[in-house]
Amino acid sequence: MAVKGMNLGSVCCLVLYFVAAVLAGRDFYKILGVSKSASVRDIKKAYRKLALQLHPDRNPDDPTAADKFADLGSAYEVLSDDEKRKQYDAYGEDGLKEGHHGSHNDIFSSFFGDFGFMFGGNRQGQQDRNIPRGNDIVLDLEVTLEEVYSGNFVEVVRNKPVAKEAPGKRKCNCRQEMRTTQLGPGRFQMTQEVVCDECPNIKLVNEERTLEVEIEQGVRDEMEYPFIGEGEPHIDGEPGDLRFRIKVMKHPVFERRGDDLYTNVTISLVEALVGFEMDITHLDGHTVHIERDKITKPGARLWKKGEGLPNFDNNNIRGSLIVSFDIEFPQTQLDDNQKEGVRGILKQSSVQKVYNGLQGY
Amino acid sequence: MGFIYTLRVLIKSILVLILWSKCEGRESEFNYVTCGSLVKLLNTRHNVRLHSHDVKYGSGSGQQSVTGVESADDANSYWRIRGKPDGTCQRGVPIRCGQAVRITHMTTGRNLHTHHFSSPLSNNQEVSAFGENGEGDDLDVWRVQCDGSIWERDEAVRFKHVGTDAFLSVTGEQYGNPIQGQREVHGMSTANQNNYWKAMEGVFILPSQEPLRHHHEEL
Repeated sequence: MAVKGMNLGSVCCLVLYFVAAVLAGRDFYKILGVSKSASVRDIKKAYRKLALQLHPDRNPDDPTAADKFADLGSAYEVLSDDEKRKQYDAYGEDGLKEGHHGSHNDIFSSFFGDFGFMFGGNRQGQQDRNIPRGNDIVLDLEVTLEEVYSGNFVEVVRNKPVAKEAPGKRKCNCRQEMRTTQLGPGRFQMTQEVVCDECPNIKLVNEERTLEVEIEQGVRDEMEYPFIGEGEPHIDGEPGDLRFRIKVMKHPVFERRGDDLYTNVTISLVEALVGFEMDITHLDGHTVHIERDKITKPGARLWKKGEGLPNFDNNNIRGSLIVSFDIEFPQTQLDDNQKEGVRGILKQSSVQKVYNGLQGY
Repeated sequence: MGFIYTLRVLIKSILVLILWSKCEGRESEFNYVTCGSLVKLLNTRHNVRLHSHDVKYGSGSGQQSVTGVESADDANSYWRIRGKPDGTCQRGVPIRCGQAVRITHMTTGRNLHTHHFSSPLSNNQEVSAFGENGEGDDLDVWRVQCDGSIWERDEAVRFKHVGTDAFLSVTGEQYGNPIQGQREVHGMSTANQNNYWKAMEGVFILPSQEPLRHHHEEL
């Protein structure tokens, strides 16, 4: 009897547990594919990547696409906000029900622009011919090499004129047409006339919203990030686009060539002859250790694999860091004793080879 | 039972109220013009926006002309606020009052510029757009004059040229064809109501966090 009761009891408990687990809310960390300790930047990166993959327009055959996309939006909205994230970590999704404002469309368009769901930035070809477009805006965004190495997000406030309906009508689609008027029986005259259609009146109102552009790791100079529909409006048509054009700034220590980084180190003559040990501080603060115990010739290069920039297409592949050495000779002249000493220590016979150094040797 | 129920409802509604008040939708409270931002500058006295285009002056220096236009939706009215060539202006940092900046025309890449040439309509100092790809010369630098410490977006400021001490101004003279109705923009030596400008539409860059410094655990 007791056993049967216990079984029933445990079954009930199990059922209750599952019900609670289901009702307790979604696992936002799992939806975004990030760990519980992910930084806000990691969360933004994950959202951006998944939003492009899971958008319902991209998955027309999947009946659950809209739900998955909505889940993604909710997950981002909670985890990207410090306070909401704290409440979620403590109380689960129940702890913040009713707090969902700012529709998913707002979040999505702050990363991709108003008509972001038109993927690839191309409007439908047919519409291009018929619908006039406002001007595009291209903004040069200067980024540091540190940002190219580690990635970053830049928030901007876009204040733009938006076409809103106003009372009354206005003339639109004005064109020249030939009109035939009858002057008399059998006599006609053809004149050119300006003919316009009537359209609803439009006025321009300034609106503001926040956009977010990602500086992806390994981004190259002149790459562009478009925000569809965030350009200048067109009274008779669609707004143009806002494009951020990346401009990578020069760095005082590192020079970029593709995914490789080049840098120069000046060492003393003594260090060049007897060896040395040093650390180079990299773009994200970690140090690259260099140790030499042999003679270092001027112009010598050291290749450090994996210490370059992350490749844009695959962040796991990195270029190399190439360190070139030049020698600083002693400033003071040697006296006769020191000169003898040097001759004795180095035991290098006189060379004095004369040749044309400019044609290669 | 009933008491606990009403208590829970009360708590939940308080929670709702708190959360609701926190998410009014993302209004931007960022009110400054920052380095690297793209703006349209409105002359507050004559209600025209600073504008340039691929049309050269027919007199004076013969350089690219700078005018004031009435329309609010022309992409040729966008200018980028940049620092001096020595690179002291960091992206996203608000421009301070008294700071020297370069104002670069977005579509043509030329800098707002003035020099000792006469303007065509009013015989004031000609203001042109000069340079290539954002690089011009020493006469491209202007000082932002405002009250307070930082250039705020809803504040009217003056631009005083470093080199000739002229203020960027509009006094209302209008051009004929091919730029019908556009106003002359020139430099004048006196500070008055004609040299006030306000940042209107644009793309305002907010300051970024430093990219994370992390140590590779994989190594």
